[in-house]
Amino acid sequence: MNTAIGKLVRAELTLMTRDPLVLTFVFAFPIVTMLIIGGAFGTRPDRGFDNANPAHWYVASYLTVVIAATGLVMLPVHLASYRERGVLRRFAAAGFPRWSFATAQLIVGLLTTAVAGALLLAVAAPVYGIPAVHDPWRVAAALPLGAIAFVSIGVLLGSLLPSARAAQAVGLLLFFPSFLLGAGGPPPHVMGSVVRKVADPLPLTLLTNAVREPWLGLGPATGSLLAVAAMAVVALVLAARRTAL
Amino acid sequence: MSERDVVTVRGLRKSYGGRVVVDGLDLAVSAGEIVGLIGANGAGKTTTVECVQGLRKPDAGQLRVLGYDPVTQAGELRPLIGSQLQDSALPDRLRVAEAVELFGTPRARDGGELLSRFGLAPRRRSAFGSLSGGERQRLFLVLALLNRPRLVILDELTQGLDPAARRGVWAAVRQLHDEGATVLLVTHEMDEAEALCGRVVVMRAGRVLDAGAPADLVDRHAGTATIRFSMPDPPAPLLDQVRRLDGVRAVERAGARITVRGHRRIIAYVGAALVRWEPVPADLSVHVPSLEDALLGLLEERPATGTPAAAEMNLAGGQR
Repeated sequence: MNTAIGKLVRAELTLMTRDPLVLTFVFAFPIVTMLIIGGAFGTRPDRGFDNANPAHWYVASYLTVVIAATGLVMLPVHLASYRERGVLRRFAAAGFPRWSFATAQLIVGLLTTAVAGALLLAVAAPVYGIPAVHDPWRVAAALPLGAIAFVSIGVLLGSLLPSARAAQAVGLLLFFPSFLLGAGGPPPHVMGSVVRKVADPLPLTLLTNAVREPWLGLGPATGSLLAVAAMAVVALVLAARRTAL
Repeated sequence: MSERDVVTVRGLRKSYGGRVVVDGLDLAVSAGEIVGLIGANGAGKTTTVECVQGLRKPDAGQLRVLGYDPVTQAGELRPLIGSQLQDSALPDRLRVAEAVELFGTPRARDGGELLSRFGLAPRRRSAFGSLSGGERQRLFLVLALLNRPRLVILDELTQGLDPAARRGVWAAVRQLHDEGATVLLVTHEMDEAEALCGRVVVMRAGRVLDAGAPADLVDRHAGTATIRFSMPDPPAPLLDQVRRLDGVRAVERAGARITVRGHRRIIAYVGAALVRWEPVPADLSVHVPSLEDALLGLLEERPATGTPAAAEMNLAGGQR
């Protein structure tokens, strides 16, 4: 690994552990909401959840909430704040290559989703149990592709939005509707047809389908998986072009 | 370009949205010099040094810094420059020692020794966000010097610092000079330029108005010293003697108040004359021309031409 990137990744990981926004929003928020909503619908298989255990439905869904929180809120706010305060200029003036910071953020974002996801499963295991993975290859493909897509979107938003406050406003506006409609909110069967039409094409809905369906044995979700792969490629290319990667 | 040339700029031009900020600027800095870029906000000082560092791409002009082209060879050049940028920061939660570690390269000096030299050793474990303004500036100086730079660029070094902190930072820059570093200093604090720089370049509206040693600029554009004292009934021979003194340009009398203007050497001559005509006036005051007077004189000699950047020139009311 390039020395500059290695040093930036180490520094950024250290700083992340001191950042209350990251600790609460990426680590604590998905776990707390998963415990609440998982408990609300119980653990008996339910037709509204395609005959799956509702708690397991949400355990399989909330890994993508971690990914979305990282990509839509944590990274844009972090990057925009750095640019607004002149931190990025200082890195550039000190000889860090232009692309090194964005690359470091991609790596940090991916590591964050992995650690936060593992923590979520560790909390879910003794409470609801972790559902058996029916199609591990598809799940193993969807999670990193989704993480790359959302982390790239985060880097892209962070490079476009003018300030940390703007990034926070836009990030939360993108995150909460996606979260409620596509991953951690009410099950699809309680949504009206109009709401479902809005929810279905959302990136987080597609990613959640691509993870949850093969995980719980509800279907292959090939279309969603391909859409997530396409999002990952497009977002990564756009983020790379924008940050001169 | 000789081996001693550290910075050579010819015909630098830079515009932002049609507004010309640097307009055909020439600049040369030799090894071991402390050169100050002075002028009010909007003069183009910061843009000039940003182009020198390769942080901005010029619209036109030739730049050579330490033998490199800052536009095409920024990657090679930047590690050779230590810079303290205007309006920049570090992550708030980054600790002082971590910053030294992060910014240090294999050729770095002993970070601990630098922190001690700049009085930051007790703050090694403190987060950047908890440092005072003076401590932050001293940390930026530490980082600027960390990797044994051949050129140090300091932009508004003492902005927002209290007088004691400013003196401390000035001492650090003098120490740099003593160690042989080449320093390009951007400031609109005239006393700072006068205290630190061997040569200053006066800029307005992106152009160089004049350049030279601070004392030479003062001589050229603000040579007049002013002496004031009160004498209710001054003896005529005294006033005649003062008028004839070498270097005196004007003697004005308004009631008991007498004002003498002339070259700085009149301070000695008028003082000597007053001593001979005891008692020496109790309210005797002397105004020695400064670099700020020289700058104001220079601006009066060459009024702005009404360019947008020139219209922003406001020394007295310039934002800090």
